[in-house]
Amino acid sequence: MQALLAIAGLTWKAVLRFRLFWVMAGLLLGSVIALPLLIKDDGTARGFIQIMLTYTLSVIGTLLGLSTLWLACGTMARDIEECQMQMVVVKPIARWQIWLGKWLGILMVNACLLALAGGSVYGLLLWRARQLPAAQQEILRNEVLVARGSVHETPPDIEGDVTRQLERVPNFQALSIEQQEEARRQKREQVKAVYQVVPPNHMRKWTIDLGLRRHLLRDRPLSIRVKFYAAETNVSGTYLGLWQVGTSTEMKARSNPQGLAANTFHEIGLPANIWDENGRFEILFENRNNIALIFPLDPDLEVLYREGGFGLNYFRGLAILFCWLTLLAALGLAAASLLSFPVAAFCSISLLVVALSSGTLASVVQEGGLGGANHETGAISTTWIDVLILPLFKAILNVVQLVEGFSPIDSLSTGRSIPWGQLGKAFAQVVLLLGGLLAGAGIIFFTRRELATAQGTQ
Amino acid sequence: MTLESSAASPSPAEPVVAVHGLTKIFKDFWGRPKALAVDDVDFEVRPGEVFGLLGPNGSGKSTTVKMLLGLLYPTRGHIEVFGKSPRHVATKARIGYLPEESYLYRYLNSHETLDFFGNLFHLASDQRRERAEQLLEMVGLTQTRTRPVGEFSKGMQRRIGLAQALINDPELVILDEPTAGLDPIGCREVKDLILTLARRGKTVILSSHLLADVEDVCDRVVIYYGGKVQALGTLKELLATPDAVRITMPPLSRETMQKVLGAIRQDVAEDRVRIDTPTQNLESYFLDVVARAKRDAAETSGALSGGRVAAYLQGQADARPATQKVLERLTVPAAASSPAANPEPAAAPGPAVDQARLASLARPNEPAPAVPPAAASATHAPAEAAPPSAAELAQANEKLSSLMKKPRS
Repeated sequence: MQALLAIAGLTWKAVLRFRLFWVMAGLLLGSVIALPLLIKDDGTARGFIQIMLTYTLSVIGTLLGLSTLWLACGTMARDIEECQMQMVVVKPIARWQIWLGKWLGILMVNACLLALAGGSVYGLLLWRARQLPAAQQEILRNEVLVARGSVHETPPDIEGDVTRQLERVPNFQALSIEQQEEARRQKREQVKAVYQVVPPNHMRKWTIDLGLRRHLLRDRPLSIRVKFYAAETNVSGTYLGLWQVGTSTEMKARSNPQGLAANTFHEIGLPANIWDENGRFEILFENRNNIALIFPLDPDLEVLYREGGFGLNYFRGLAILFCWLTLLAALGLAAASLLSFPVAAFCSISLLVVALSSGTLASVVQEGGLGGANHETGAISTTWIDVLILPLFKAILNVVQLVEGFSPIDSLSTGRSIPWGQLGKAFAQVVLLLGGLLAGAGIIFFTRRELATAQGTQ
Repeated sequence: MTLESSAASPSPAEPVVAVHGLTKIFKDFWGRPKALAVDDVDFEVRPGEVFGLLGPNGSGKSTTVKMLLGLLYPTRGHIEVFGKSPRHVATKARIGYLPEESYLYRYLNSHETLDFFGNLFHLASDQRRERAEQLLEMVGLTQTRTRPVGEFSKGMQRRIGLAQALINDPELVILDEPTAGLDPIGCREVKDLILTLARRGKTVILSSHLLADVEDVCDRVVIYYGGKVQALGTLKELLATPDAVRITMPPLSRETMQKVLGAIRQDVAEDRVRIDTPTQNLESYFLDVVARAKRDAAETSGALSGGRVAAYLQGQADARPATQKVLERLTVPAAASSPAANPEPAAAPGPAVDQARLASLARPNEPAPAVPPAAASATHAPAEAAPPSAAELAQANEKLSSLMKKPRS
């Protein structure tokens, strides 16, 4: 352990002596201070704080992510190339300890920088919030600077509905496989439309089951968070709707018809104790427009309730960011254990870019190939490139989804809770599983590698 | 906590390093052979000897050293260091290594460098501090302890590199071109240090292309060329000229000289007799000049002349009086102190007359020992196998004491 800590301490000294730490600290603090002055918001205190949180945390994550990759590649590859590593491996320290020492050193640096930047954002948030009028502060405390849990309606079994409806279609089995797939796709869209579309003067109902939470939420206000789209745009950009909430036998509250903008999230407060003895209640929306409105299934309407304070939630959010940085450090070190510095840096940054473009990969996988489906015939033209690429893209997506399933910045900016369970899951998936796999690969590369050449330097 | 090496010290008969059929072929990216650096090399290094790897640049010396340290992997053959693989982690606690260039962390200062490497040996904090102080004093860098190593001259970097190689009081010291970049004073100090380590029973492997370095300190050498061993044996075996005799004495009167020459010419043709005045070598002369300058208190901004061998390297980590140590040395087993009985290197000040050599010469019709270099065997018993006399041990201690008493600059 003493030797491992010495290696970690060495990374610290390098970061300090080469002034990387101070440069990064300056950049991070500069971003935290400058971004709120530059960004535009919707004019409300809530909007400003949400945008500030989103932008500053995104910039912090990006800056630290890139510096982590660079530092991880540099500290390992440069030590090997400049032969300092020769002086270390001839001492009584196993190579896996050297590798882990480097990883630990980078994590310590990241932890300090993240704490510095995250702490600054937190302090700035609280300071800005205190400058606001009391009413605005109240809104912030209830909607942003809070950790709120959410409850959704049980998702409909769309695939089951599709199958059941297709079974009733005569001669469906006589169709070719491609035709069956196309019929299934069209039926799926029909079924989803039934759930999502609210025609003019029609109602959409959501049934929410609080379960055991009802005991904790007694006498506490709830709120709805919802977003919808309009089938056609109107002049005002707002659409009239009427909201009612209550049990299946009695509506306990009813809003006045109010105009809401499409394509944006709305939060609507609900009175306390609106559920029945089982914790169930219903939310009804009446479309009072001449055009259809669409309430998407993803993201679906959610009912939010206060679960805890902002401070601890913010800490958990930063901890998930730290898990990502841990993974990036393992990626950089693993690459540098095998490759020279520029190649390792290029490869690991390229991998990061590929991971960030998972949307493109997902659409290729969904469409069944790079060429996609013919929109007229529905046929998918598969080439030999698709045969090679599709399994690769699927594998990448499976790995990326292990990491991307966590969105602490989005949760923090919308005042939603990041449970300890989610943090634990992030740690298990991102650090232990993916980080562990990369660390294992890196240690194997490093252990098998000859660390000298016939010449002095590599 | 201090890491103790798990392996026991080798017995006198057990080699510290054993190399058999060692071959290293460097390959290109595609795995095709690129260069044959070391070709079927065999040798052994025994405890307590100073073993030289000698050869021109590119002959395979450094490659061999790097394979001994587990930095390169052999293509064929077998290496054992203290009876273990070169990659055995615990064994590395018994090895000190100075590479051919100073691969130090540029952003650390001298003290931090030694502290860092001390940590890798699991030395306790106070032990690291104490050893670092002694080593910095030994290599003459006490006044630059807070300067980053990256700002050091090459010679100063070599000194700090040497210090880190000794932080663990190693049993086996591997020095790759240790005098490269050092001034003559530094060279002399390094060679004195090697001799001191050898007298303490340490095994030293010295890789160098500087013949004088090897000749001054090595007991046995292996000479490389083209990756192959060309010669192997003790310096005495390799360098002896069996058909010539040199006598050194104070100047004689003209008459006496004529008588001596007359007697010699009765047996030897005149053109085979050479008479000259011995000269000291340039190194000795240079050291004399610097010593005189030091007495005039000349100042320098670089490394100071060190020379005080770190106490723990002299076996003085305990505070027992020097007299007790001398007694201890006189009573240690012959095998442990056998290096003290090694013949004095050519450049080191030695006795005016080699009495044994004189006695052998005095015996009639007995030829001087002659071993052709090519016939020297890797397992040939070295000259120092005979137990050292009390006088030889006393002489070794005297030499050590003189090193210790060297004044600080």
